Amino acid sequence: MPALLAENVTAGYGRTPIINDISLTVEKGTVTTIIGPNGAGKSTFAKTVVGILRPTTGRIMVGDLDITRMPGHQIPRHGLVYVPQNDNVFKNLTVRENLEVGGFAAQGNTDARMEEILSVFTDLNKAREKRAGYLSGGQQNLLAIARALMVDPSVIVLDEPTAGLSPAYTDVVWNQVERIAATGTGVLVVEQNVERALKHAHFVHIFVAGSNHVHGLASEIASLDLAAIFLGRAEANRS
Amino acid sequence: MSAMWYYVFTLVFFLFDYFILAMGLNIQYGETGILNFAYIGFVAVGAYVTGATSLPNAAGTGQQYILGWGLPFPLNLLLGGLAACLLAVFVALIALRRLRTDYLAVVLISVSLVLYDVINNYVPLFNGADGLYNVPEPFASVLKLTTNSFVPFFAALTGVVALLMWWVMSRITKSPLGRTLRAIRDDDGVAATLGKGVFRYQLTSMLIGSFYAGVGGGLIIQFGGSFNPTAWLPAETFVVFAVILVGGVGNNVGLLVGALLVETLLIHLPAFLPDIPGHPGLIEYIDTIVVGVLLMVMLWFRPQGVVPERVRRSPFSLATRSSKTLDDRAIIVPTNDGESTPVIQQETANG
Repeated sequence: MPALLAENVTAGYGRTPIINDISLTVEKGTVTTIIGPNGAGKSTFAKTVVGILRPTTGRIMVGDLDITRMPGHQIPRHGLVYVPQNDNVFKNLTVRENLEVGGFAAQGNTDARMEEILSVFTDLNKAREKRAGYLSGGQQNLLAIARALMVDPSVIVLDEPTAGLSPAYTDVVWNQVERIAATGTGVLVVEQNVERALKHAHFVHIFVAGSNHVHGLASEIASLDLAAIFLGRAEANRS
Repeated sequence: MSAMWYYVFTLVFFLFDYFILAMGLNIQYGETGILNFAYIGFVAVGAYVTGATSLPNAAGTGQQYILGWGLPFPLNLLLGGLAACLLAVFVALIALRRLRTDYLAVVLISVSLVLYDVINNYVPLFNGADGLYNVPEPFASVLKLTTNSFVPFFAALTGVVALLMWWVMSRITKSPLGRTLRAIRDDDGVAATLGKGVFRYQLTSMLIGSFYAGVGGGLIIQFGGSFNPTAWLPAETFVVFAVILVGGVGNNVGLLVGALLVETLLIHLPAFLPDIPGHPGLIEYIDTIVVGVLLMVMLWFRPQGVVPERVRRSPFSLATRSSKTLDDRAIIVPTNDGESTPVIQQETANG
């Protein structure tokens, strides 16, 4: 059973569909990325999966639980968490408070969980009593990811976690993403950087104009003419 | 008691009362980010209901009002607070559920204006433009207080109420509820993605803040014995905003400082100063201008206020925690079913 299953999902803003009939699965312990040109519907799909937008058709499952019509704020307690693209931390709260807020939907000992997470995110551990707004952009993204881990999720959805980061910090973020997947969590990453996505992901989906244009193993996708697909000049072999 | 002490205790009363009002607005705006421009309306509802439940039946009083139960302190005050909460539920359901930030602020201004017009013009409710008067002074007959001795007594009583409400508010703002409200203030969208029912928390904040507004209003009518629409013009909301912006948003100590600087020293103290020769009443008009200028200066040069919001540190010191080596820590996190799962592997030195 996949960690996350989206079947024939159509969604958008108001009556205008942005994504059409998209199906996608995220397996446990793997990194799945969504790449594609601007306006392809990558972030819209992520928002639909986590309940911010309501799909007009289709079905979304976390494990064996149907969350298609579930209010967004109830979804994290069922193991699906989301890290937005920008402004994704509570800047006036300390690092520790951010993590505590993230543990709201968690059950069990959140203090122990926070200590465990901070022992891995060493930069955050050093700054635990600092306001999140004083952290660098990369550290803020790491904090947002760390905060999402507080609920011990089965699936984590990251919307462009490396946007605007230096190459060095991009590596740090991706290393953490791989570590999260190694614990058995399914990771879905919306990414603009094609090279990084292909390097770190197990599975890649290319969205073009609101459709899941092509998908497959990262090694298979890497062999395609991506420039042609992004620019709409090629009808690639669909997997 | 000399006239000067009468004035001093009047100022002390307003200091404590506006401290209560500022705490109420602060949890809504400073802690939760709800721009409640109708705040003075909640104060007024608290004042009217406290007054109307203190007064006896309206027949024969020369006034028109509802209720008229003749309840003693503090029952009447609690009902004033609860009436403001009732208004908060109504406002939250029509405005807070769907609107955010500037749109919500515009709607709340409209609510304030509608409320003002209804109470001002519908006489059977709270005696219209004349307002309520002859409201009994709490404990005055029991303790045989004169007009002069009532003022210091009630200022002290208000101080006790303010102290109690400050203690409660401190517990709230330091609790997980307070932390969640600040998270919603920073970004309600992100808070929702973490499992927070944003509306439920905003409603909670509105209820708490409105109770403080209602109690603060109730104390005003009990102190002065009367209350009418000239006491709560919609612009009065901005005086309370000035208190929390000057004192320090999100800091209870700052609110007391703000109440002292704005409400006590700038709004009420000038009323007791002698007139400028040839310009009677000019000082009272100038104080509003001074508050406006002070507000602009503070927002420009020190937006965090005189006493800024503090970082809420963990009760466990950083030094204590960091003194542990990583090997001392439990790397395994217990799960619900009693088993343990590793979160993520230890970061390597070069990771």
